[in-house]
Amino acid sequence: MTSPSRRLLASYGATQLIAQRPVAEIARELGSVLIASRRQKEADLLVSDIAWELEHRGQTANTKLISAFPLTQSLKEEIQSFVKQAAKVDSVILDEQIDKNVLGGVRIETAQHAWDKTLARALADIRKEF
Amino acid sequence: MLNPSAQFASSSSSGISSLGVNLKAFIFQLVTFLLVLLILRRWVFPKLVATLESRRDALERSLLQAKETEEALKAAEEKADKLLHKARARADASLADAAKKAEGVIASAESSATERAGQVIKEAKAHLDQERERLHQELRGELADLVVRTTEKVLRQKLNDKSDQALIETSLKELKS
Repeated sequence: MTSPSRRLLASYGATQLIAQRPVAEIARELGSVLIASRRQKEADLLVSDIAWELEHRGQTANTKLISAFPLTQSLKEEIQSFVKQAAKVDSVILDEQIDKNVLGGVRIETAQHAWDKTLARALADIRKEF
Repeated sequence: MLNPSAQFASSSSSGISSLGVNLKAFIFQLVTFLLVLLILRRWVFPKLVATLESRRDALERSLLQAKETEEALKAAEEKADKLLHKARARADASLADAAKKAEGVIASAESSATERAGQVIKEAKAHLDQERERLHQELRGELADLVVRTTEKVLRQKLNDKSDQALIETSLKELKS
């Protein structure tokens, strides 16, 4: 018996989430499949794939925000608005991370898109141009 | 009485003797002379003549041989002269040919050397250009690194949450436009 592919599992998970089934149940089901097919290590990748599916279907964009300083509420809302429009999704979930290595600015990452407006990226581009 | 010979002698002595010649001695000498002549003609002269003839023949042969030798020598000299002349002409031609060939070889070597030198110069120039370009790139890289490091340090010192917020707002405007 062949085990279902990760893409298929992600599609199933996204469908179930859109159908508003309890997250814990869906997680249990998918976890069982991974354990049965001895693919526990793929759990994180499966979560990413589900996020990709949700964004692809215009449902939710799980967005990671990386900045050197904490962002104000107004900025977060502005970013949410921008991601909704750019990724063409109904809702945006923000996951804020502080990383001093970016120096300044912000990097916005979704499952399907990425916008890097950090100073670290700008300096790296300058270095490349030279 | 006197015999006729005695008479003749007496008469002769009177004739020849008057001239102071002793007839007897004269006759005796004449006979002796004739005998000697006869002996000479009989045994000596033929040998002497033969010897002389043989010596004359030898001498003539020698002269002839000497003449032939002289002619041969002359011919040999002429031949040697001709050979020498020919050899000299051939040597001159060979020298001229060798000189011509040497000129050709020198010209060819000069041309080859010039060509090779040109190629070496060209290669060196290309290598120099490459090296200069490499150094230029290296310098630019180092300069960029220096600029970026300095900028990074300045930004770390100067950037605060307010200026960062302004920066992010500007970035979002750029993204939306």
